Amino acid sequence: MDAPAPAGRLTLAPPAATVAFRHLTALWVQITGTLCNLQCAHCINASGPREPWLAPLPADLAQRYIAEAAALGVKEIYFTGGEPFMHPEILPLLAFSLERAPTTVLTNGTLIDEAMADALAALAAGARYSLEIRVSLDDPDAARNDAIRGPGAYRRARAAIRRLDARGLLPILTATEMGDAADDRYARLRELLLAAGIRKPRVKMLPMFPVGRMAGRGGGVVTPAMMEGVEPARLQCSESRAVAAGGVYVCPILSGFPEGRVDGATLADTLGPTRLDHPACLVCWQTGSSCRNA
Amino acid sequence: MNAPSEPRALRRIAVFGGVYSNAHALAATLDDIRARHVDAVFCLGDLGGFGPHPDRVFPLLQAAGVRVIQGNYDQAIALGRADCGCGYTDPRDNHYARISYAYTLARTSSEHRRWMGALPAHRRLRLGEADAVLCHGSPRAIAEFLWESTTPDGLAARLLDDARAQVILCTHSGIKWHRRLPDGRHLVNVGVIGRPENDGTTRVWYTLLTAQPGRELDVEFVPVHYDHEALAREMEAEALPPEFVETVRTGWWTTCLEVLPGRERARGRF
Repeated sequence: MDAPAPAGRLTLAPPAATVAFRHLTALWVQITGTLCNLQCAHCINASGPREPWLAPLPADLAQRYIAEAAALGVKEIYFTGGEPFMHPEILPLLAFSLERAPTTVLTNGTLIDEAMADALAALAAGARYSLEIRVSLDDPDAARNDAIRGPGAYRRARAAIRRLDARGLLPILTATEMGDAADDRYARLRELLLAAGIRKPRVKMLPMFPVGRMAGRGGGVVTPAMMEGVEPARLQCSESRAVAAGGVYVCPILSGFPEGRVDGATLADTLGPTRLDHPACLVCWQTGSSCRNA
Repeated sequence: MNAPSEPRALRRIAVFGGVYSNAHALAATLDDIRARHVDAVFCLGDLGGFGPHPDRVFPLLQAAGVRVIQGNYDQAIALGRADCGCGYTDPRDNHYARISYAYTLARTSSEHRRWMGALPAHRRLRLGEADAVLCHGSPRAIAEFLWESTTPDGLAARLLDDARAQVILCTHSGIKWHRRLPDGRHLVNVGVIGRPENDGTTRVWYTLLTAQPGRELDVEFVPVHYDHEALAREMEAEALPPEFVETVRTGWWTTCLEVLPGRERARGRF
């Protein structure tokens, strides 16, 4: 079993700032918990194929949260994990979600064969709102990618991107920054897509977060002085919540971790201020990055 | 919401957004509107960016008595901010946004910057029997993108509830659309007149709204054809990016594409 990372709180930490909640823009549904068929070196929640430390979210509970979020005026729903396509009910769950809001799936792409690509294209064509598929691929070089993501991950992700693109689904390649500013990974990934015949290349970059398998690597508390003059919207906890087995969490990065959990019987109960006291909070504050598509 | 209100109910209004320094399209739009017998004309902001000679649109707007609200671009230029605040997260989008913003900031007179700085963020009006709120991105955020495929009914209802209105008029995203909710309320993205809407034609769009007693609010999108070739030549003379000029000549967006949801992106060429 891949154990969760330690909480990472500093016992003698400086006081943390609190950010007000604005409105619910994004609901993240950690549908497969930390169950994944890959075991990436930088995974933010230490997902993997062996017994997951965080169980999948039961389908009926996922639907309850999605319906509540829709009633609250949510703008976007995101399915994540683990690997969402390992969930046996992923297609009906996506259909349920798409009836209520635009929906995105974050996947490693390895389980998107021709039949699944057909099913997703049919789902998108019949849906009122946008269905987005984000396929993770970290490096345009196969060997370097697979050193991070595991053998065969590059070939299978690339195949998924081509299958989805061939059906007009315009997948978003999602990559994690490796902390090397001189490496123009964004441009190289864009070139990779163009070279593969993708005419509408979409690339989403995410920073590395000191959580999961990267716990202890940097980060820090955001203090009240650091928040002076900073728009709350810069921090996604002001506009997002994640749901997973165990309840509701402040953001997708801390989804499933005890230190990210918010008490409340309903989703609405959890829409209060957030203390920026996790090491990962500093990364959001520094980069202004959002896990959303754009 | 602290917003100027019209003193009387209006019956028929013309509304447009996103002028983007396109004085040619603005003049053509105002000409078209003159023949339509409207009670008032509104512009939902973003006067500069993208096009050439930003100072040329102000006299046209002022002479026609257009009631203007502030867009994120106008706010940024007025305050001399470091960037346009369009909310792009993609490096390539930000590269082009920076070129456009630096050009516009350097060529907008201090008088026009002051004028934009004093514009209201919202307006409220009575459109027939309905309360309407006019905003730039959304009533809650000046730079929020409201696209048709990513604005669920639940969000539209929430925005209308929070704004205490039956009609919301917005722009910012660059593509027009209209949602009538089952309860009869309306969310209308009025589109932009400064650049074509990624449909492979060079025309631009504004919106006419007509309220008649006892009838559904009529929302009509009106195409405007203008001398886009004159605009393209001016942009070339000003050494603006060839990618922008290509959009003016072809009607396809070439930059700032990453903010588009998949469905809207699929309709374009790039």
